[in-house]
Amino acid sequence: MAAMDFSAASRSGIVARALVLPVALLLLWVLLDALGVLKEGIVVSPSQVFATAHEGFADGSLPGAALATLLRALTGWAIGAFAGLVFGLVLGLSGIARNLFDPSISSLRQIALFAWIPLLSAWLGNGEAMKITLIALGAFFPMALGTQAGCQNVPAPFREVGRVLELDRRATITTIIIPAALPSILAGLELSLNIAWLGTFGAEYLIGTGYINGMGDGLGAYLAAAREHARMDQVLLGVLFLALIGIGLDRFVLGFSRRLVSWRTP
Amino acid sequence: MADALTLSRPVARDAGAVTIQDVSKTFHVENRTVHALDDVSLAIASGEFISIVGPSGCGKSTLLRFLAGLDRPDGGRITVDGEVVDRPSLKRGIVFQDHRLLPWLNVEENVALSLRSLAGAPSAKKERVQSLIDLVGLTGFEKAFPHELSGGMSQRAAIARGLAPRPPLLLLDEPLGALDSLTRSYLQDELLAIREREKSTVVMVTHDVEEAIYLSDRVVVMEPRPGRIAATFDIISRRPRHRDDPDFVATRRKITDLLAKR
Repeated sequence: MAAMDFSAASRSGIVARALVLPVALLLLWVLLDALGVLKEGIVVSPSQVFATAHEGFADGSLPGAALATLLRALTGWAIGAFAGLVFGLVLGLSGIARNLFDPSISSLRQIALFAWIPLLSAWLGNGEAMKITLIALGAFFPMALGTQAGCQNVPAPFREVGRVLELDRRATITTIIIPAALPSILAGLELSLNIAWLGTFGAEYLIGTGYINGMGDGLGAYLAAAREHARMDQVLLGVLFLALIGIGLDRFVLGFSRRLVSWRTP
Repeated sequence: MADALTLSRPVARDAGAVTIQDVSKTFHVENRTVHALDDVSLAIASGEFISIVGPSGCGKSTLLRFLAGLDRPDGGRITVDGEVVDRPSLKRGIVFQDHRLLPWLNVEENVALSLRSLAGAPSAKKERVQSLIDLVGLTGFEKAFPHELSGGMSQRAAIARGLAPRPPLLLLDEPLGALDSLTRSYLQDELLAIREREKSTVVMVTHDVEEAIYLSDRVVVMEPRPGRIAATFDIISRRPRHRDDPDFVATRRKITDLLAKR
């Protein structure tokens, strides 16, 4: 119990220290605004951003955009990560599958995510299907790679335990390979969420934001519109929301994976 | 086959006899040929406790891995109870120096894993796991994970895992090598008591000459380049042995002299 109290205390200490820089920057901003040295149009005042946020919450546009982005990211991530898990397992466990698919997957992985946009929009148009596919594609590769690497890099001593205990293939996979690969699989999961989140913004910002087939929704479209209308206050708010939700997602997956591999850290 | 083992009966009286015949192994390292083992032959009787000592590179661990079926010799053959060893089997339990407990399973689950491929009722398996945990003195630590155990406790759990399927032959690869001297001498006595109950043949590889004399019926001294048997010593004094008994001291002197010459 004492140890837990201690770790809780040190944790809040870490959080406090992490907040020093953002709070200092915020104070500097308020100070500069009060001194009247901020140039209109380039840097807006804190009070104006606050007012815009208030307005955005009142008419629901800001939480609506955030929610649309979050749902889109999670949908694409779930699809891509699941496909990546399946593919990674097959490639990690079967030498034949590796020979068949590994070179192709490795080549496709080299293509930058946004370079898929022309191809995908030709096939799928510029609607939701295209955006989700792009996000899923981004999530797929890190997940597949992490899973495959984890399965292939199970330490030989653990594999030997499976051999001397005469475990059959299925028992070897479930009791040795997958648990041993789990840290790598979870690292792939974290990275895939990160890529999915970045990809979601890119998809919203670059595809379907008024130029091609009308305004899209989500924070990406919100930011694109803000930029178009030179609304620096909205730009700042959009960026802030992207950062906050992104870090929230990251922490969620991190906490989840720490729980799953609690055997690793005493 | 694994299912030829039974959970309930102790090891048969004449099981666990080993014949090692002209076993050789060469490794190729940077265009050089290293004779890890050169025509090694040894017969081990059922129920015997054999220790293999020798400097690093004498091939003692290689030989043990052959006995386990984890690797195969280039030449010669190894049989246990007339059956050629060509792959690992639950009939030959092995305890490694690095306990190799699976870190994601607790003590109970680690021990139970060795019974997974055996036929038998779950309740009988559970009982066997518990009796082994009791035997090695880990009662109360069934749910503990390896990272929560000391080195000595981990090695006890590994011994329990090795013994659980009642292997007629138990292979120990420097099982106490990584432990402090107090834990080590305590576990040596435990090992003798455990073997007394389980009646397996035991082949142990060790660096420690005293440990070998203290525990074994016979000590095999190996020499490197090429790896082969230099001499064997029958240890006939009754147990419990004392490290300052005259014949203990004399045997130790002979073995250390032999090892120093190489």
